[in-house]
Amino acid sequence: MPAPTCIVMIARLGKIIVLGTTDAIGVWAAVGLFSSRSWAPLTCLLAGLGVLNFVLLSKRAYPLRYILPGLIPFALMVAYPIIYNMSIAFTNYGTGNRLTKDQVIAHFENMYYLPEGSERFAYQAFRDADGNLALLLVSKDGGELYLALDEVLRPVDAGDPRFVYEGEEIVRIDGYHQLSRREVVRLLGKLQGVSLRRGEDTIRLVSLNEFAVYRRSYRYDQERDVLVDLRTGVEYTPVQGTFTSSTGETLQPGFVAWVGFQNFYDIITNPRVTGPFFRVFRWTFLWALLSVVLTFALGLGLAILLNDPYLELRHVYRTILILPYAIPGFISIMVWAGLLNVDFGVVNRILRSLVGVTIPWFHDGFWARVGVLLVNLWLGYPYMMIVSLGALQSIPQELYEAARVDGANRWQRFWKITLPLLLISVAPLLVGSFAFNFNNFNVIYLLTGGGPPIPGAQTLAGQTDILISYTYKLAFGGAGAQYGFASAISLIIFLIIGTISALNFRFTRRLEQMSGGL
Amino acid sequence: MKRYLLMLVGLGVLFGLGGAVWASKPGVLTIWADDTRAPILAELGERFSAEYGIPVEVHELPFGDIRDRLVIAAPAGEGPDIIIGPHDWIGELIADGLLEPIPFLEEKKDQFVPVSIEAFTWGEKIYGLPYLTEAIGIIYNKDLVPQPPRTYTELIAIASALTDPEAGRYGFLTHVPQPDPYHSFPFLTAFGGYIFGLDEEGVLDPCDIGLDSEGAIMGAHLILELITSGLVPAGTDYGVMTGLFNEGVVGMILTGPWAVADIRAAGIPYGIAVLPTVAGRPMRPFLGVHGFMVSAFSANKALAMFFLEEFIATRDTMLALYEADPRNPAFLPALEVVSAEPDVAAWAANAALGIPMPAIPEMAAVWAAWGDAIKLIVTQEMAPEDALRAAADHIRELIGCK
Repeated sequence: MPAPTCIVMIARLGKIIVLGTTDAIGVWAAVGLFSSRSWAPLTCLLAGLGVLNFVLLSKRAYPLRYILPGLIPFALMVAYPIIYNMSIAFTNYGTGNRLTKDQVIAHFENMYYLPEGSERFAYQAFRDADGNLALLLVSKDGGELYLALDEVLRPVDAGDPRFVYEGEEIVRIDGYHQLSRREVVRLLGKLQGVSLRRGEDTIRLVSLNEFAVYRRSYRYDQERDVLVDLRTGVEYTPVQGTFTSSTGETLQPGFVAWVGFQNFYDIITNPRVTGPFFRVFRWTFLWALLSVVLTFALGLGLAILLNDPYLELRHVYRTILILPYAIPGFISIMVWAGLLNVDFGVVNRILRSLVGVTIPWFHDGFWARVGVLLVNLWLGYPYMMIVSLGALQSIPQELYEAARVDGANRWQRFWKITLPLLLISVAPLLVGSFAFNFNNFNVIYLLTGGGPPIPGAQTLAGQTDILISYTYKLAFGGAGAQYGFASAISLIIFLIIGTISALNFRFTRRLEQMSGGL
Repeated sequence: MKRYLLMLVGLGVLFGLGGAVWASKPGVLTIWADDTRAPILAELGERFSAEYGIPVEVHELPFGDIRDRLVIAAPAGEGPDIIIGPHDWIGELIADGLLEPIPFLEEKKDQFVPVSIEAFTWGEKIYGLPYLTEAIGIIYNKDLVPQPPRTYTELIAIASALTDPEAGRYGFLTHVPQPDPYHSFPFLTAFGGYIFGLDEEGVLDPCDIGLDSEGAIMGAHLILELITSGLVPAGTDYGVMTGLFNEGVVGMILTGPWAVADIRAAGIPYGIAVLPTVAGRPMRPFLGVHGFMVSAFSANKALAMFFLEEFIATRDTMLALYEADPRNPAFLPALEVVSAEPDVAAWAANAALGIPMPAIPEMAAVWAAWGDAIKLIVTQEMAPEDALRAAADHIRELIGCK
């Protein structure tokens, strides 16, 4: 059969061409990365190319062709962020410690200062046909002339034979011609890096119009790993990512440093973190549990009503009831914040005109908790309703008929048949919903911001703060952003949720076994 | 085959993403600005390019993203040369080693509103070229309040006469109880309260916290009285306040120039008044200053400085910036030109009373604890003195000053 063979040939040829081109581009890029000493990207590139070739060329790796397209996004989107987050937890990364040590050293080594009464120079720039620069400097103090053809500044005489004058102005020096202001501006990038030597002095560009004598502020001693302040002679040694003198003076900026378990130690020993921890944990647990129970109860109740074949217009009801799910949560939450406003909200206005009382939503700890639970109920019940509607269909009608024959009433049928059979398929979703609400940052942060505050308690934690919103406040509510600290707490939260979820799943499995015997 | 192609495209995209798109490149000026300033800067940039043959690339980012992205992009060599933002960013950015001082401003200080230079000064150096100032003041409805109050007593008298919640009319509204510490600052300063004191060298001392000073406590009582007297409902938030004002049922509100565009659109005959005096002393608002800052990781520092010195710090550029976003210029020659406009004059009078918002990173701790204190005061869970003392102690502990 010639036709399929031909297709196979073409396909194989195409594969070789594409792979060959990719490899060629890869090798070309690798050479570039090698010469620029970018080791991390180079390693990634070579590893990527290696895997690609192995997968496409090896017969043994055939199954990988189907798995790899899934594994790559998994590694990039799921595994990498988690590993990165975990590694950050062991560093001091955050405000004041964002740069690498090399960058910080470069920062200090590139610091110059203008000493008191520093000598300043006006300058003219010249260029020859090959693009080489010459700088002619005139001291503003004494009017001495200096010429720099390389990095060394040499005194010259105004009557030097190399100078070609046009009136008062020197327009050419040897083969060099004077540059216009516009040309000088375009050369600023080059000029800013020029560092001229005159004996002990370093002369650098200060502004478009001036050079001046500069002194270096710091020198880094690589062997002893100390930074020396050249003005005072004070030595700074790196301590947990910050250059610190023997008297405790520190230099900004610091760098990202590995601090081991310091962040975890800080969390455990800091009373301001641990003090409200259990209070917050208790509410987080209650919040997640109540959110699941309430949304499930309402969702299931509505699902059972909608499942009744005698209900007229049930498609219309179903559509209306799913609506909260269709509106972006962000918007719903903001709208609810307005509806529950103590003085101007619609809810309190109605209450006032009907029963003459108003509820201090968000001003009182208890009512704030009721408020966030109510809003979360609004946001969450449609999901539970949809899930239950589906699960209800899978319960065989014969069971109900048999129960009816046996004389079971509606209530008994619900508790003995509907709920146990429903839970088999819905329970894992409830566990998932619990874990989701445990970390439901949006609702808490947008609705109450964790508030109202606890009277007299000196803590960032408010009455409705859950662990994740509390973490956010701890990490970003002190001095700038402390990512290392935040990552450490989020690792701890991860362990808590992991444990709870594992216990939940075990419970669920037992549920399945129980109903299996039904 | 399709599968491989897709995979290759995917890999290509991934590698491509690694490449810097908005990075600072030698010889090209890259500027990050928000949507109110990017268009006018792009226009100005073209003029600069035409004059000096140096391309200027202006990238529009959401306001808050400018700082958040800079701290990540700049050390990776992917940041801009120049950013535009408020002065209270500098504390954090300098701590991160991301800003370059602007030396030429030392000699041109006197061309700017003095307090705007003060706002961008950190240690002994100036880290930003100020271009606009903003502070809050009293915005009043001329139909309801023909003559704005000069003193706080007058303000309360006018407000009491106008307020009738049953009829949905309010004399004076503020969203301080929301809580909004920023807008509560004038109340605190009326009696000499402060946030951070200055040390002997004139630098903000994060351990001298004045939130529980005598003056701050007296100011908090003023806020509490607004609530207990029924003038300001505790549920007033920014949306409610401006919404009602734009309906024409509110006499006066306490806010800044950002509210004016909507008020104009609503057709309210508004005026802007200087904050009233309390017992002869002025209420002093926070001053915000926006300006141009140069990245420490710029590949074109000298060029960026030149651009700022020769091109931005000029009357024409500053006026063009004002036209695009009418907030008070910080550059005196430009301010003089527009100061005939009544709004500008009124905002300038408020800004002149202003105290620059502290730029130190520790402000994050202050905002949170201060906000909690106001909330506890206005919901009358705690007395002002207790709430503020607790907040100040908490801040001292957070900053590590105990």
